[in-house]
Amino acid sequence: MRELSFEGTTVRFGTGRSALTAVDGVDLVVPQGQVVGLVGESGSGKSTLAKAAVGLAPTSGGEIRLDGVPLRSRRDRRKLQLVFQDPHASLDPRMTIGESIAEALPGRRRHAARSAEVARLLELVGLDPARARSLPSGMSGGQRQRVALARALAAEPEVVLADEITSALDVSVQGSVLNLVRDLQRELGLTILFISHNLSVVRYVSDVIAVMYLGRIVEAGPADAVLSAPKHPYTRTLLDAAPAFGVALDDPVPADDARLDTEAPSPHDPPQGCRFHRRCPIGPLTRPERTICAETDPQPGAADRPHRAACHFAAEILEVPAR
Amino acid sequence: MGREQWKAALRHPVGAVAAALLVALALLAVVAPMLWGDAAEETDPAALSQGSTSEHLLGTDALGRDILLRVLVATRYSLGLALLATAICVVIGVLLGVLPAVLGRRAGRLVTAAVNLAVAFPGLLLALFFAVIFGVGARGAVLAIGLAGAPSFARLVQTNVAAVAGRDYVAAARVAGVGRFRLIARHLLPNIGEPLVVNATVLAGGALLAFAGLSFLGLGVQPPAYDWGRLLGEGLDRIYINPAAALAPGVAVVVAGLAFTLLGESIAQVVGVRAVRRRRVPAAEPAPLVAAEPAAAAVLAADDLRVGFPAPGGGWTHPVDGVGLTVRRGETVGIVGESGSGKSLTALAVAQLVPDAAQVTAGRLEVAGVAPLGRADAEVRELLGTKVAMVFQDPMTSFNPSMRVGRQLAEVTRVHERQGKRAALARAVDRLRTVRVPAPERRAHQYPHEFSGGMRQRAMIAMGLMSTPELIIADEPTTALDVTVQRQVLRLLKDVQAETGAAVVLISHDIAVVAQLCERVVVMYAGRVVEELPVDRLGAAAHPYTRALLASVPDLATDRDRPLATIPGRPPDPSDRPEGCAFAPRCEFADDACRMRPSLSAVAADQRAACWHPRTRPLDLTLDAVTGGQA
Ligand SMILES: Nc1ncnc2c1ncn2[C@@H]1O[C@H](COP(=O)(O)OP(=O)(O)O)[C@@H](O)[C@H]1O
Ligand code: SF4
Ligand code: SF4
Ligand SMILES: [Mg+2]
Repeated sequence: MRELSFEGTTVRFGTGRSALTAVDGVDLVVPQGQVVGLVGESGSGKSTLAKAAVGLAPTSGGEIRLDGVPLRSRRDRRKLQLVFQDPHASLDPRMTIGESIAEALPGRRRHAARSAEVARLLELVGLDPARARSLPSGMSGGQRQRVALARALAAEPEVVLADEITSALDVSVQGSVLNLVRDLQRELGLTILFISHNLSVVRYVSDVIAVMYLGRIVEAGPADAVLSAPKHPYTRTLLDAAPAFGVALDDPVPADDARLDTEAPSPHDPPQGCRFHRRCPIGPLTRPERTICAETDPQPGAADRPHRAACHFAAEILEVPAR
Repeated sequence: MGREQWKAALRHPVGAVAAALLVALALLAVVAPMLWGDAAEETDPAALSQGSTSEHLLGTDALGRDILLRVLVATRYSLGLALLATAICVVIGVLLGVLPAVLGRRAGRLVTAAVNLAVAFPGLLLALFFAVIFGVGARGAVLAIGLAGAPSFARLVQTNVAAVAGRDYVAAARVAGVGRFRLIARHLLPNIGEPLVVNATVLAGGALLAFAGLSFLGLGVQPPAYDWGRLLGEGLDRIYINPAAALAPGVAVVVAGLAFTLLGESIAQVVGVRAVRRRRVPAAEPAPLVAAEPAAAAVLAADDLRVGFPAPGGGWTHPVDGVGLTVRRGETVGIVGESGSGKSLTALAVAQLVPDAAQVTAGRLEVAGVAPLGRADAEVRELLGTKVAMVFQDPMTSFNPSMRVGRQLAEVTRVHERQGKRAALARAVDRLRTVRVPAPERRAHQYPHEFSGGMRQRAMIAMGLMSTPELIIADEPTTALDVTVQRQVLRLLKDVQAETGAAVVLISHDIAVVAQLCERVVVMYAGRVVEELPVDRLGAAAHPYTRALLASVPDLATDRDRPLATIPGRPPDPSDRPEGCAFAPRCEFADDACRMRPSLSAVAADQRAACWHPRTRPLDLTLDAVTGGQA
């Protein structure tokens, strides 16, 4: 297991008026043996970033490295394995799960050796090895997701990228898949980029949390620090919105301010200056004197701020005005 | 295509007839030349160009050969050539079709463009063109028909490959390092097999006809060999003397062609949408229009509500199996449970929106003072249309994509309240403003796809508000949305509830979401209600399933060093539920008593649970810990 790093990674789709930059100069390090949680709303570019790493999305700038060595060929990329969101779509309905897993095993092996390895992997993800001969159609979502994990592990990856792997599952099943991810990570010392839009889920498995907004990482740091003392107002907004027992909808949070935009800006035409400024509870819409937010992009100085926050006012984030 | 589906295709009457015909033709093709091959060549100088006689049933040709025998013997050659042409067409089509997937992006596009160009050419013209190039004769004709059909088959393969290539499992295989050729052989082709088989079958029918055509024109089979087309051509010369000589090969061509085409069509039907046979719902006595004693306080009252579907093996399965549910006016009630527990179906049954094949029964069902069961659809629609509003998970599928949002909203009042166009549109804009859609005048003129997920959900709620609903049923309205948008939509529902006094039923798999909005929570498991309790008593949940659900959801205060609680096993299949408590196989407290089905009974004030051993120890719900980070 080694370190995966994104350096100025950029992904563009389309041309002309329909062009959009889904991932815009992302710098992110997934250190060896750690879990980095990537959160952000849908469309913020999380999946695209993961797809760029495994070569399913074309990068148009920057570098993606494994232990400092740029990933170029398909062979290099095999060391990264992506687990998809929808376990009903990610397994070939016509292949037994044993075949699906065996297909990902590197190198040539004898039949017996393959079967033994498939059995070991199924055991590892908590499935009965006798299942190898069954088709995915009879399996539940949770079981399929375990198969998908086994297939990813079959390729003997250096890094696993897990893209919303519990979003399509029932809560009761989500728990067992999260436990599995945690156990596997501890047992095998896996390096994982764990993507989810659910902060609670990300918090449960991650050592480091990175927050993505409109194609950029706006805050990144140790999980506890980011969650207990967020430095970017967007992180704060996400935390406030997460449903939790005992927190009523009526308790106002800063982001409920009626002066703010309720909709995310179009990725085809991101706002000038700070990309979050029309939704920011401490930005120019609530504090007109903060004209800098609408004029100057806070990204360039981010590396010097706490949690690499892309916010001009990162230092005073906790002083949120009460409404 | 599974074995089951092949069987189904053959069970289809048309399919069965077509298949039987093809088998008969195949037998004939094998046997006829062996039995009558020589006899069909025998010239009978005594009987040149005769009509029907007892010796020659369909008469003879100019050399005195028996026409019936010649038609029978020609089966082999005609079918063989048609199949050969089809094979050429399929092989080239598949090769060209998968080529874009093998080649790089640019070369792939070139192939696609070339194929599209070729498709635009009329097929018969292409065949004639090739027939001229390859020379007159059977070989030329086979090549011509095969090549002429290839482009459209290639395009078929290309579209199907492109569709499958976009699926996650193909991407997963690519990430796993599976090579291009293996990808095609193992993942792409097997998964497009069905449409290809269907089309190849239809194609064979077409090839047969085309071949007959070419031979008839003298461009196909040359004497002394003969096929149906040539026999037809010869027969036609003498149609006034002996019509049978032309009719017999003509009929053979048509019958064989039809057999192929029909078989293809019936396979296609089976593979495609499977027709659901609707069974008659046992007629129920319509209840009085307005219940004798409308429970004035309740906007929804259901007793023993059951929704059944015809089971594959006969009989019925009941995904909703005896639900009792009461919603008071202005109340917010949440229904939670795993997928498959029957939440959505319960809601659909209440709103009278279940699929056609379903059967709804209830001891009592009253919605907004109306007892809908046993009434005609139109009548129910009329009665409930303005009183019950539904909000679905994916509003995109509930909107007509080709109609502006404002007009769609306006339509609701125009249908139900017969308002003028302008007034209705004004109301639509007003309601969009109510649900806080920014710039509602402009937005009303946009199409649904121009709305983001959250805005569409607002528009959906606005649609419900076009009349004054007494009950709003929201089925997973925020599941596809992000937390920030989810919060906005939930708050909106709450405001709407407060302003209009409508009752809200919120269905969700996420008990935390339900807890945020609702006063009361109804927990469903395996088609039944297992617990009912006020939201502030969630910490005192009594049913082991409710408790397990609560414990399995991580929140922002969950201990990260402990494994999450999980529920072993999976929910029972509706067709195979255990006799007693349906949760027993997964319940750590199950004992012999649980072999009997528990019914809902009070465990505290306002709290009922269906369990023989209700829990009493309070749960540790980390109720306030979450607010730690907040100001
Ligand atoms: N193949 C594609 N072509 C064009 N746009 C795309 C494509 N894939 C993703 N996008 C766009 O890129 C942006 C980021 O998407 P995505 O990475 O899926 O976000 P997330 O995973 O955070 O939800 C979105 O605006 C999405 O519509
Ligand atoms: S830079 Fe300004 S608008 Fe952007 S997040 Fe910081 S305070 Fe808000
Ligand atoms: S009735 Fe028995 S099996 Fe069912 S939930 Fe209660 S204790 Fe468990
Ligand atoms: Mg995604």
